[in-house]
Amino acid sequence: MHNAGHLIWIILVVSVAFGGICRIFRSPRKILSFMCAGVLVVTVPVLTLVVYTFYYGAVSSAGQWFYIDSLSAFHLVVMMLVFCMSTFYGYHYFDEKIDEGIFTTRLARRYGSLWFASLTAMTLVLVSNNLGIMWVGMETTTLVTAFLINLYSNKTAVEAMWKYLIICSVGIAFAFMGTLLVAASAYTLETHVADVLLWTKLVKVGEVLNPALLKTGFVFILVGYGTKAGLAPMHTWLPDAHSQAPAPVSAIFSGFMLNAALYCIMRYISLVDLVSETFSQELLVLFGIGTIIISAAFILSQHDLKRLLAYHSVEHLGIITLGLGLGPAGIFAALFHTLNHSVCKSLGFFCAGRLGQIYGTYDMRQISGSMHLSFLWGGGLMGSLLALIGLAPFALFMSELLIVKAALETDTIWAMVLFLAGSSIVFVGALKHIIPIAWGKPSTDHVCLKSMLTDKVLVLGALALLLMLGLWMPDVLHEILYRAAYIVGGHHN
Amino acid sequence: MNNWIDLLIILLILSNFVMLGSSRLAVCIRTLAIQGILLGILPLMIDRQDLVLHTTLVSIGALIIKGIVFPWLLFKVLRRIGIRREIEPFVGYVPSLFIGLAGLIVSLYIGSKLDFPAPESVADVIPLSLFSILAGLFLLTTRKKALSMVMGYLVLENGIYAFGSVVLNKVPVIVELGVLLDALVAVFIMGIATYHINREFDHIDVNRLDNLKG
Amino acid sequence: MMTYWSHQSISPVISAIFLAPLLFGVINWIKAFLSGRRGAPWLQPYFDLWKLMRKSAVYSRTTTWIFRAGPLVGLGAILTAAMIMPMGNIPALVSFPGDFVLFAYLLALGRFFTIIAALDTGSSFQGMGASREAYFSALSEPALLLALTAVARRTGSNSLSGMYEVLSSGSWALVSPAMVLVFIAIFIVFLTENARIPVDDPTTHLELTMIHEVMVLDHGGPDLAFINYGAALKMWILGQLLIGIVNPVHTGIMWLNQTISIVVSLSGPAIAVGLIEFSMARLRLKRVPQLLVAAGIFSVLALIMELR
Repeated sequence: MHNAGHLIWIILVVSVAFGGICRIFRSPRKILSFMCAGVLVVTVPVLTLVVYTFYYGAVSSAGQWFYIDSLSAFHLVVMMLVFCMSTFYGYHYFDEKIDEGIFTTRLARRYGSLWFASLTAMTLVLVSNNLGIMWVGMETTTLVTAFLINLYSNKTAVEAMWKYLIICSVGIAFAFMGTLLVAASAYTLETHVADVLLWTKLVKVGEVLNPALLKTGFVFILVGYGTKAGLAPMHTWLPDAHSQAPAPVSAIFSGFMLNAALYCIMRYISLVDLVSETFSQELLVLFGIGTIIISAAFILSQHDLKRLLAYHSVEHLGIITLGLGLGPAGIFAALFHTLNHSVCKSLGFFCAGRLGQIYGTYDMRQISGSMHLSFLWGGGLMGSLLALIGLAPFALFMSELLIVKAALETDTIWAMVLFLAGSSIVFVGALKHIIPIAWGKPSTDHVCLKSMLTDKVLVLGALALLLMLGLWMPDVLHEILYRAAYIVGGHHN
Repeated sequence: MNNWIDLLIILLILSNFVMLGSSRLAVCIRTLAIQGILLGILPLMIDRQDLVLHTTLVSIGALIIKGIVFPWLLFKVLRRIGIRREIEPFVGYVPSLFIGLAGLIVSLYIGSKLDFPAPESVADVIPLSLFSILAGLFLLTTRKKALSMVMGYLVLENGIYAFGSVVLNKVPVIVELGVLLDALVAVFIMGIATYHINREFDHIDVNRLDNLKG
Repeated sequence: MMTYWSHQSISPVISAIFLAPLLFGVINWIKAFLSGRRGAPWLQPYFDLWKLMRKSAVYSRTTTWIFRAGPLVGLGAILTAAMIMPMGNIPALVSFPGDFVLFAYLLALGRFFTIIAALDTGSSFQGMGASREAYFSALSEPALLLALTAVARRTGSNSLSGMYEVLSSGSWALVSPAMVLVFIAIFIVFLTENARIPVDDPTTHLELTMIHEVMVLDHGGPDLAFINYGAALKMWILGQLLIGIVNPVHTGIMWLNQTISIVVSLSGPAIAVGLIEFSMARLRLKRVPQLLVAAGIFSVLALIMELR
């Protein structure tokens, strides 16, 4: 128990150190190779911790300031999955730019160190038991990822970075206000100062928390972290940032950063549910449905491939939020959906990024017949888009089905109807784009890129994973999801 | 003692009004510096015998970062960019002041409704912090220059900090310092972002950043 | 209307009537002194008034009775206001609960007639001045009323005499952040109402930048004398309003109090105005409303502090 806690320190220190090491290499190629190796190295202690948590229960360290239970372990797995995929994808993504001399050593160094810094920050969010430190980690992710968006420093990227910085900083500031209100709600608690923001502590003493302050705090938290998670109407930074960032960065944004913000909200859900049974549920359902509907409207009128994917992220984060508001079954489904969406969306951005390089544009009216030009990327994009709109055998269909089921069980029929309506709009709207992109008449003047082995493994592996999870859920995953869901909404049982 | 807290609160409220009503960016930055110093003093005024070290540490941190480092950074950006005024914000300065007044009254109302477990002497800090938050949001939404928006963010942040000073004994010192550090890095990065905007566009009018739509 | 005759004193209104023009003389002398000139004699304003009284007025054919009523009503309103204005802790001739509201509205009445008299001339310059005056007074009036309300709240009395009695007998013990705010707010109102720098420049004759002076351009003879005398009175009583807040004099001996009060009320506003006019330029017209709104904000804050 005690020794396992040290691993948390190791993960944080090692990933910070790797960020620093990135600065000593002298060529972009070497840095990208080192990043692949580095991420794999970090994966080892993370997975060890996750397995340990699975078999021996929660791990804590540093006087309970660090704490890993099933909920954080599950998110750690998703995070490492997304990071590994994106890092390996990045290895070949920059080929062209390196040859053109745009992706210089200086840029590569910046990219590498910010990459590891964001890995550290997100890990910090997941492993900290102190709600204040969790906030610090979340704010740090905003700050370190800002310059990842603006890697090549051009007009649109600067604009996207600026919006991202300002909107998310303000949102996160609100979340801090919420954190303070939650701290204030524990005023009757006679504890040492250092312990007061500990989640484990607060969860145990739920009944003495001041309900009014806790609820006010939760609203701030939902709006604040919700901004970072891309919930409507605070989502406006998201399509800009996702469309301007390089594809691997878009993938970690969509694949995990949004989920990290939602993870923070989940921690508070379990707190606020202690004083009020339905308060958080109503708010979450409301935000979830609103987000789905608004994003559906934008998806219909979208022409930019990466923006389309970004709005899909908004939609799916809305679906997850909706699921979180639908009782234990809904939370289970929402967590499952988190995993599916992260894998699927990373895949989507990977393919979109490479197709963008092939066609020289992200305008979907000009990307046609991608399957002919590059079967791997075209097919991957089609697969991921079909999965995203909820086509049957894929895992996202299953998790959405579970959410609908949860809505039925909790008698939230109106939410279910609106959810299905939004999904149908998205389905039709996205299908309109998918068909010409995949099977349309290819314009012949585009150069076809050679697909590398890692790329093939990535695309096929991700598609296979999505298919497999849609058809069969391993018992281990079921168990982890069940335990994680219990932590978020366990008292409902 | 109580009078001194009152005085601080009044000065902080007035400094927010200066932020709302001033077009000269240099004046705004100086006001922010004063605000930072006042906020640094605020926790010391709130009597907490048991937390002297804690309070002093946070106070000194806030004083240095909010009162000295932020203004210094902002002035650096200001000099580099070479603009002096916020010209024609979306809402003029006199209407801004009136809206500020309305905001003050709203925050007093909310402050009186919010049953907050604070000692009597610091009860007024809560409306102040709400007012700062509203003022910051207002600045963020109505000003056009990137630098003004950074300052709006700082006013908002200051409001939250003031709120934090009331619940200070609930928040561990490492968290407080982490928060300050994050704010520092945020301003630093926003400053760099402002350079980038200036370099790419030759202006820092945020309302003219409209390449990305839909 | 309940009147407290037991508290009355004739000295505030008498000194106002006789000493008000002297205030202008002192201000001009101080300004001259500060800029190294030898100023006009202190009694110059009296000579000017006497000179104007002996002249006859000229009336344009386009004007109506309103134009003639303007100066008279203006002076009448100010004289009435002088009757309810105490001098430090010496109570006014008339006082009753809520008289500070009447005070504010007497000022407003005088201003209203000045404005419509200016409009009555049909001249575009006068109209411009009138519109500016109306705009600025719309901003300064709430500031004054709110500031006085804050004082009323602080002192627990709602007549001017009562307020100032408490204020000056309590001397510095009553000093609080709120009273400092009230002082600043009333000071700005004082400068605005009397059309002094930085709001308006009494010496300029450029119509495009003037506010108050431009409105009275068409008046002459006794009318102008009334206007000038009214302006002096207005400055005197608003000066009392200002000085009363910070005047710590409380000797208990009536004549000593009176003497000190007169000296302070002559020198205080005069020195303040003299210094300001010596060191500052007029604000751009666009900035004036900001200053006035600032005064309003000070008053609101003071009131909020007192209402707690």
